[in-house]
Amino acid sequence: MIAEHIPDLDLITSCAERQDSVFSRASPWTKLILLILIVLTITLTSNLFILSALYALILLCCIAAGLPMKKIIAWYAMPVIFVLSLVGILVWTEPGVPLFTIPLGVFDLTLTDQGVILVVTLLIKALISVTFSLFFLMTTKYAHFSAMVSRLFPSPLDQVFLLAYRFLFLTLAMAASLLKAVRSRGGGLIRSIQVQGRLFAGIFGLVFIRSFERAERVEKAMVARGYNGSLSANTKIPGPGIAGYFLICAGCSAVLLILWISPHAAGWW
Amino acid sequence: MAHIHLEDGAFSLTWVLVWWLLALVCIGIALWILRSKGHKDTGRITIAAFVTATAFALFQVNIPLFGGVHLNLTPLVGILAGPVLGSLVVLVINILSAAIGHGGWGLVGANVLVNLAEVLVAWAVFRGSHTFIPDLFSRAGIATFAGLFCGNLIMIGIILISGVQGVTQSPGQVLAGLSLIVAVNMGVAVIEAIISGLIVRYIGNARPDLLGEQKQ
Repeated sequence: MIAEHIPDLDLITSCAERQDSVFSRASPWTKLILLILIVLTITLTSNLFILSALYALILLCCIAAGLPMKKIIAWYAMPVIFVLSLVGILVWTEPGVPLFTIPLGVFDLTLTDQGVILVVTLLIKALISVTFSLFFLMTTKYAHFSAMVSRLFPSPLDQVFLLAYRFLFLTLAMAASLLKAVRSRGGGLIRSIQVQGRLFAGIFGLVFIRSFERAERVEKAMVARGYNGSLSANTKIPGPGIAGYFLICAGCSAVLLILWISPHAAGWW
Repeated sequence: MAHIHLEDGAFSLTWVLVWWLLALVCIGIALWILRSKGHKDTGRITIAAFVTATAFALFQVNIPLFGGVHLNLTPLVGILAGPVLGSLVVLVINILSAAIGHGGWGLVGANVLVNLAEVLVAWAVFRGSHTFIPDLFSRAGIATFAGLFCGNLIMIGIILISGVQGVTQSPGQVLAGLSLIVAVNMGVAVIEAIISGLIVRYIGNARPDLLGEQKQ
């Protein structure tokens, strides 16, 4: 693991492979369609009650699936910072009941109740999307995931995706071991910008060079075994069951209902 | 790094679909160029996969400068992989990023367009200035900064055109707010340009063939 606040792909894959909950046995297609429906829902509605209920439901699913909730909450750091860094600037001067004002001489910055609601709404939307994405990854086996990539993406994009997903673990391990080696020699200490810049550029450059060399070796080994640019994943992906179809129908109905109630939410004019 | 750090639900459905469609058209063109060569170049596919994995893995490294900086390395992807393979690399990186909460699924299309601008501009500046800027560090640094600058312009354009759902500020007010983010982004772009310059010089010394250069 390289950073605490960034999702650990090894842990995610480990959960996906070791899990034996009802969610990991569910069809990956059902989970993918539900992910799309959830993204559509949070794009179409800003109703806090609907969003809170959806978030609570996803959290319950994560807990029921036995996922490491402390880790998932720690991984929220990045999306939360992203929302706050941009929307935190745009919420000022929103119309509504003023909560407090910061005088800046030339102009005043006023935060209103609507501004706070806007931040909360966008935060919940972000957390819904991130949590369900992690839930999907942590309950879907690698073989099923790669088979889905193979079926969904055109060639050679599927090849790049499949190989990149496999190489990612090797590269992460390589980068982590290089960083560990540097830290063990005192490389983590804060020094001048020039020294620090050169040090990390050297690490990054070395990772790139090693990756290229490994790519050349892997390619030769694969071609020797008959690889001709088509690596197909033949794993059978289980289709949705009755409960899966019911969930998909319910999700589609909910999205259509939201669209019917508030057609302007789609941004059509 | 120039990236639309907005999560799902920020853009309306119309704009989510518009940016996704534009991004898919760009990716479609890249795929058409690759397929038009007739045979599958296994070497280029493998290298593209490794560049994807490396760029995504290195994005996760926190560089202890100015309190911690993450680099997205898309201009470096453009310099190393070129615009065609680079297009595929940025799509895969953005999908993997969305999966771990770095930008929303609906924003993948917009982010691909921003990153494509970075890849294209960095590649064009790096290759185009070969004759009058022979020094690899300077050339890669300038190319990276130019790429990130253009990426930032595209990012502002996309946000101004799409608007953020729920924000009632006028375009002028939004632009003023975004200017602050652009200023921070360009500060990070200077760091990324220096580090990318150093990386390219390091690669140029060890493996100049990877850059299409002769050993100096």
